Amino acid sequence: MIGNITIQIQAEVISIVIVTLLLIVFALVVNYKIKHADPLEKPKGIVLFATMIVEMLSKLTKENINHKSAPNYAPYIAVLTLYLLVSNFSGLVGLSQPTKNYSVTLTLALITFVLIQRASIKSVGVLGYIKSFFDPHPVFFIMNFFSKIAPAISMSVRLFGNITSGSIILLLVYGFTAYLSGFFPIIGNINFIGPFIAPFLHFYFDLFVGAIQMFIFISLTTVFIGNEFAQ
Amino acid sequence: MDVGQGLIAIGAGIAMLAGMMTGFGQGYAAGKAVEAVGRNPEAEGKIRSMLILGAAIAETAAIYGMLIAFVIIFVL
Repeated sequence: MIGNITIQIQAEVISIVIVTLLLIVFALVVNYKIKHADPLEKPKGIVLFATMIVEMLSKLTKENINHKSAPNYAPYIAVLTLYLLVSNFSGLVGLSQPTKNYSVTLTLALITFVLIQRASIKSVGVLGYIKSFFDPHPVFFIMNFFSKIAPAISMSVRLFGNITSGSIILLLVYGFTAYLSGFFPIIGNINFIGPFIAPFLHFYFDLFVGAIQMFIFISLTTVFIGNEFAQ
Repeated sequence: MDVGQGLIAIGAGIAMLAGMMTGFGQGYAAGKAVEAVGRNPEAEGKIRSMLILGAAIAETAAIYGMLIAFVIIFVL
């Protein structure tokens, strides 16, 4: 409260700050280690990890976007995967995941939407882009319009829905185990049945779903951009 | 419990019917993937990643349904 104005901070904002600080620390450590590494030996440790990530993402980007400007998109894809991976995994340490908020996923999907439209304009020109709304017949205008918006909406709702549903199911499981452990007389005040049942669910809902949804998001981004260049 | 809450529960149940055929579809895709690996055991890595990608995209409709069901239960 500042004076008469009440400021509310959503829990995901603090998670975003923590995730960003983690990524900055990771980048600084890798930078320091690479500067002091010997270029003639094989890399090991964190430098090897970073090299593998860069190689994998470059290969994925170049394979899906068959165009000479494919390396320009690789940094965005790399940032996207690291950010989504760490965000989706932050449910394990008790933070409220940033992707649990529809604003975050909608922003990322809108960035992809702008990239897709820009790729389309670069590929066929502005006149070709406007003409693509009207083929094969001007009556198809609404359908073409929606087929350009649909990837953005479906990607954002897919990521949001998966992460949010996972977190709601875990909330319900913890509530149920708290109710069950309320029956025990003295130690029932703390939820002691929860940590026996929840780790299996955490493994599926946080690790598996988080990694797969990240992979799908970047695959769909590169495939949609590559589709525009293929014409 | 009044009629309104009962109808909310029924609505959430109907929303989850969206996940009816995803089990069938993903099982069929997994069967085809196993068949493809049997035909060409060297391409196992590519087939596995393509299976996971296709299954998760086909699961999107069921996730939309689950999201609507949660919104109906917790917000309405």
